[in-house]
Amino acid sequence: MSTDHLAYTQGALKTHWKTAGLLVPGLLLCSAVSAGPIRHEQHFKVAAHPVVTIHNPEGLITVKAWTKAEVMIISMPASAEVEVDAEQMGNRVDVSTRALSDSVAPGDMRADFQINVPEDAELQIHNDAGSVNVANVLGDMNVETVAAGVDLEDTPGYLTVKTVGGSFQCVRCAGRIEVSSISGNFRLIDLKSAHVWAQTSTGNILFNGAFLPNGTYSLKNYSGVIEVRFSPADSFDMSATSLKGKVINEAKLTPSTHEHHFVPKWGNALFGTFNQGRAKVELTSFDGTINILKRD
Amino acid sequence: MAVNNCKDFVTHLEAWTEGERHPDAQVHLRDCAGCRSLAEDMDAIRTEALSWGAQESEPHPRVWTSLRTRLEQEGLIRLPEAEVAIPAARPSTENWLSSFFARIPRPALAGAYLSILIALGFALSGPVSKQTNEARWLEGTQIATSPLSAKLNSFEQNPIASDRDLNPAVTASLQQNLAIVDNYISLCEKSVQEEPQSEVARDYLYEAYQQKAELLAQIGERGENIQ
Repeated sequence: MSTDHLAYTQGALKTHWKTAGLLVPGLLLCSAVSAGPIRHEQHFKVAAHPVVTIHNPEGLITVKAWTKAEVMIISMPASAEVEVDAEQMGNRVDVSTRALSDSVAPGDMRADFQINVPEDAELQIHNDAGSVNVANVLGDMNVETVAAGVDLEDTPGYLTVKTVGGSFQCVRCAGRIEVSSISGNFRLIDLKSAHVWAQTSTGNILFNGAFLPNGTYSLKNYSGVIEVRFSPADSFDMSATSLKGKVINEAKLTPSTHEHHFVPKWGNALFGTFNQGRAKVELTSFDGTINILKRD
Repeated sequence: MAVNNCKDFVTHLEAWTEGERHPDAQVHLRDCAGCRSLAEDMDAIRTEALSWGAQESEPHPRVWTSLRTRLEQEGLIRLPEAEVAIPAARPSTENWLSSFFARIPRPALAGAYLSILIALGFALSGPVSKQTNEARWLEGTQIATSPLSAKLNSFEQNPIASDRDLNPAVTASLQQNLAIVDNYISLCEKSVQEEPQSEVARDYLYEAYQQKAELLAQIGERGENIQ
C-alpha cells in the first residue's frame, strides 16, 4: 500500500467519520422529533349554537371562543398508539380519545387539545386528569373530571361542574353555577352570577363576587374554610351555620324582617340582614370555619 | 293553596300538621332545609302530644300525700280528729279522695290538682320523652342508613378492575377521595350518635353516603369501560 494511497485512505476515513458525526446526531434528532406528539388539526363548519363534546381520559384541554362559525380542533395525542376521533353530526362535534391497540398503558392514554369554538357554543367536557381551561365561551357548559382542575374565565352561561378531587376556579362568570366536588377547592372570583350552588366535602370555598338582587348563593362544605367577601354596597340576607366549627363575621347584620330563620339547636349559627337583604346567602359547614369578611 | 316560599309554607303549616300533604308544600320542603326542619319538629311534637293523650295519667300516691299536706298547711282542709289521733289508720287513696272531695271547695281542688299534674308532667315526661325521641331519631337514621351502608360496603369489596387497567393518576384520586368519604361517614355517624335529633348531622350523613355511592359508581363505570 503506497503512502499516497494510505494518506488518501486516511483522508477518506476522516471525511467519512466527519460525515457520520454530522449524520448520526441529525438522524437522532429527526427520530426524536418524529417520536414527539403528533399534531392534528381539524375544522368543522357549524351553525349557530353548536354543541361540542369532548371525552378524554387525561390531558390539557384549552377551549377559546372566536368569531368564526367553525370549530377548530388541534389535538396532540401522547403517542402513536393513541388516536383522537372528531366527527360532526349536524350541529354537534364529538371529540374522543381512543387507544389503537390493547398494549397501550393506561398512563399513556392521554391527549392535549387546543380548541376554538364560536362564542355561542355549548360545551360538554369529560376529562379525568390533567386540566380544563375555557375562556370567553357564552354557551352553557358541563364539565366532569376526577383529578383534573377546571378553570373558567368570562363564561356567562349555565355552568355545571363536577369533580372528585379537582379544583375549580371561575373568574368573571355570570351565569347560573352549580359545582360539586369531594376534595376540590373552589375559587369564585369577580362573579356576577345570580345563582351559585357550590358543595365540596373537604375543600375550601372562596366567594369574592357580587351578591345580585334576588340572587341565591348556597355554599356548603364538610371541613375546610368557606370565605365570603362582601362590599358595603352589597345587600343580602345571611344564614351561616357550622355544626362544629366557627363562624367569623365582619358584616353588621340586623335581625331579618322578611325571612323566617329556624335557628338550629346545634352548632354555631348566624342569621341577619345586610342592607336591604335582597340576595339570599346560605353558608353551611360541618366542622369547617366560615369567614364573612369585608372585601379589600 | 300554592306553596312557593317559606311564608306560604308557614301559612300552610296548620294544614300540614293536620296531615294535609299538598304537593307544592312537599316540593318546597325538599328544597328548603329550614321549613323541612320546622315540619319535622311539628310532626314530632304532634306525635308526642298524641302519645301523651293515649296514656292514662294516674298520679303517684305520694302526689296526693304532698297535695294533702300542702292544703292542710294552707288551712284549706282540716282532718278529722280520729285520723290525727290514729295515723296507722290512714285512708287509702280512694277513701281519702272521697273525704277530700267532701271537705274542700271544688275550684281549689281542681286548680291544685291541675298545677301538680302539669308540674309532674314536665318534670317526669321531659327527660323520658327526650330520651325516647333521641332513640327514635337514632333508630330511624340507622334504619335508613344500615342497608345502604351494607350495600355500599359489599360493592366496595368486589374488585372491579385491577390497578394496572386504570390511569394511575385517576386511580390515586379515586382511592384518596374514597378514603375521605369513608372518614366523613364515620365522623357523621359519630355525630349522629351524639346528637340523634340534629338534622344538620343527619343531612351530612346522608350526603356522605350519596357521595360514596356516586364515587363507587364512577369506579364501577371505569371498570366496565375497561372490560
